[in-house]
Formats: sequence, structure tokens, C-alpha cells
Amino acid sequence: MPDDTRTLLTLALVFVPLSLLSIGGGASLLADMEYQSVTVHGWTTPREFADLFAISRAAPGPGTMLSTLIGWKAAGWAGAVTATVALYLPSSLLVYGAARLWGRWRGSVWHSAIERGLAPIAAGLILSGGIAVLRVSPGGPAIWIAAAAATVLLLCWPRLHPLALFAAGGALFGLAGAIEL
Amino acid sequence: MTEQGIDVRSHHRPRLPAIFAAFFWLGVTSFGGNTAAWLYHQIVRRRHWVTDAEFLSGVALGRITPGSGGVNLTVLIGQRLGDSRGALAAVVALLSGPLAIVLALAIGYARVGWSPALHAVLDGIAAAAIGLTFATGLTLLRWRRVEIGPFVITLATVLCVGVLRWPMIPVILCLAPISIGLALLARRSADA
Repeated sequence: MPDDTRTLLTLALVFVPLSLLSIGGGASLLADMEYQSVTVHGWTTPREFADLFAISRAAPGPGTMLSTLIGWKAAGWAGAVTATVALYLPSSLLVYGAARLWGRWRGSVWHSAIERGLAPIAAGLILSGGIAVLRVSPGGPAIWIAAAAATVLLLCWPRLHPLALFAAGGALFGLAGAIEL
Repeated sequence: MTEQGIDVRSHHRPRLPAIFAAFFWLGVTSFGGNTAAWLYHQIVRRRHWVTDAEFLSGVALGRITPGSGGVNLTVLIGQRLGDSRGALAAVVALLSGPLAIVLALAIGYARVGWSPALHAVLDGIAAAAIGLTFATGLTLLRWRRVEIGPFVITLATVLCVGVLRWPMIPVILCLAPISIGLALLARRSADA
């Protein structure tokens, strides 16, 4: 087996189990990813891993794109795609199966009761997600104030486009950063 | 975001290219890990493709199954919109943009390094994105302010998971039966 193929296979073997073990979000994944890519396989140095983590946080997208970057470091473009698919495909198949099963009971009393019962919990989870992100933000009080201001703006002016707010937030902080420097 | 909840969805089912385009845009513009809030704004509020209830049950199911909550929610909504092909189109669209962007950033970083100004700009975007998350959660809360039971359940969830940082799965397993029981009772009293 050529070395490239072996690396791709190893990437898949590392990320497929992580995909199925990562219950409750990506935070628990981070430690495992670091252990695998730095200590076990030597795909990145500790310093490179920290850099890749910072880059993955800067990019848009759901959850962690860190796996993509580790795959890229290990085996180029093919590695990036392999690691991404390996991390997201198994969990997606699982939730797809759950959705099919769940859809079978649509219309029953239990289905609507469970759906209605989960709704307030889901709203609470969305709010908790905001708190969790706020907690790990490196920006300090400025972020808290800006986030609160953005919340109020969006609630008072529902027509305000969130992207306009993202742009304003980025410009404001960029400007403040420039003055500070 | 209006005061009223989205209870009916539009009757026509979106075609695959429309699903792909909507989720691609969602992927490249969802900063700061707020895919659910942004998806709510784009897919539920603007396009009316699914109802509030379908969205919220997707959020809950997506969080209790393994994997990223945002990706799982995308699979669930995609499945509702166009079954297996809808789910595939939505997920590939959601991930392909960020994949390209994150690699471009990594290559750029390797060439020119990291500027503090970029960090500041990203902090600002992240702050606005957190605001969107809170506004979405509060909008969904206000929508059912007439019912005290669900309101208390939401508060309990925020307290346990958000503030006290208890593990999410056990908290959901404790609160879900209570909340589902309340929903059954509410239904029974509505029928009577």
C-alpha cells in the first residue's frame, strides 16, 4: 500500500470513531484530536496544532473545521476531504436514520407531544449555546457588551439583517483594535 | 424576527438546487458556531420551509445524537425538505464552503502569518453572532409566553446547561419527560 493511501486510511480510522463518540458538541473532541494528531501520529507539532485551532475558529461553518485542517496537514487536499467526511458522515447517517424512524410516527399523539415537549428544551439549548460561546471568547468585557447590544438591536428591529450586524461588529472591533495599536 | 411564531410552512417543496443554494449560503455566513440561530433566520423566518416546532425538535434531536449539532440539524431539516437527496444536498452544501475557506485561511496563514487586526475583526463578528443566538432563543421563548410550564422548562435548561454547565445529556433526560408530560396534559385539557 502506498504511503499516501495509508495516511488517508489512518485519518479515516481516527476520525470515524470521534464522529460517533462526540455526543454533546465539539468541545470534548478537541483533546482527543490533539492527542491523535500530535502524540500518536505526529501530523502536527503542538505549536502547529494551536495555530490550526485558531484558524478553524476564524472560519465560518458549523462546529469544528479543525479536522479538515489536520487532514490537510497530514495528506494535502485528499487528506482534508477524507478527514472532513470521516468526521461528519457517520454521525449524519445516524441522525438521518433517527429522522426516518421519527417521521414514521408523524401524526400520532405521542409524536406531537414529544415534539411540543422538546421545544422549550431546545430553546433553552440555543440560549445555553450563546452563553457557552461567550464564556470561551478571548475578547473580554467588550464582547459581552457588544453581544448584549446586538441582541437588543435584533429584538427591537426584527427586519435588521444579521449580516449587516456582523459587518458592523467586525468593523467596530477592527477600528478599535487599530486605534489601540 | 416578528413577534408571531411560524406555525405553517409554505406548501411547495423546495427543489434540490434551492436547498443546496440556501445551505451553501448558510455555511459560508455562519460565524461563531451559531448555525442553529442562523438556520432559524434563513430557513424558518425568511423561507418558511419548516415550522417553529419542526425546527425546535430538530435542534433537540440534533443535540442529543453524536456529532455537531449544526450539521445534525441540517441533516434533519434537509430530510424534511427532500428526503435522502435533500439531506445530502443540504449537508454537502453546508460543509463545502467552510472547507474551502478554512483551507484558504490556512494557506494564507502559512504565507503571511496572522495579523492582530484580523483577530479584532473576528471578535467583532463573533460578538454580533452571539447576539443573533440570544435574540433567536429569546424570540422562540416569547412565542409561547402564555404558557408558564414550557417557560419554566426553558429557564431550567438555561440554568443547568448554560449557567451551571452540567452535562447536557443527563439534563435533557431529566427535563424531557416532565416537559412531554406537560404537553400531554395541556393537550388533554384543550380537548376537554
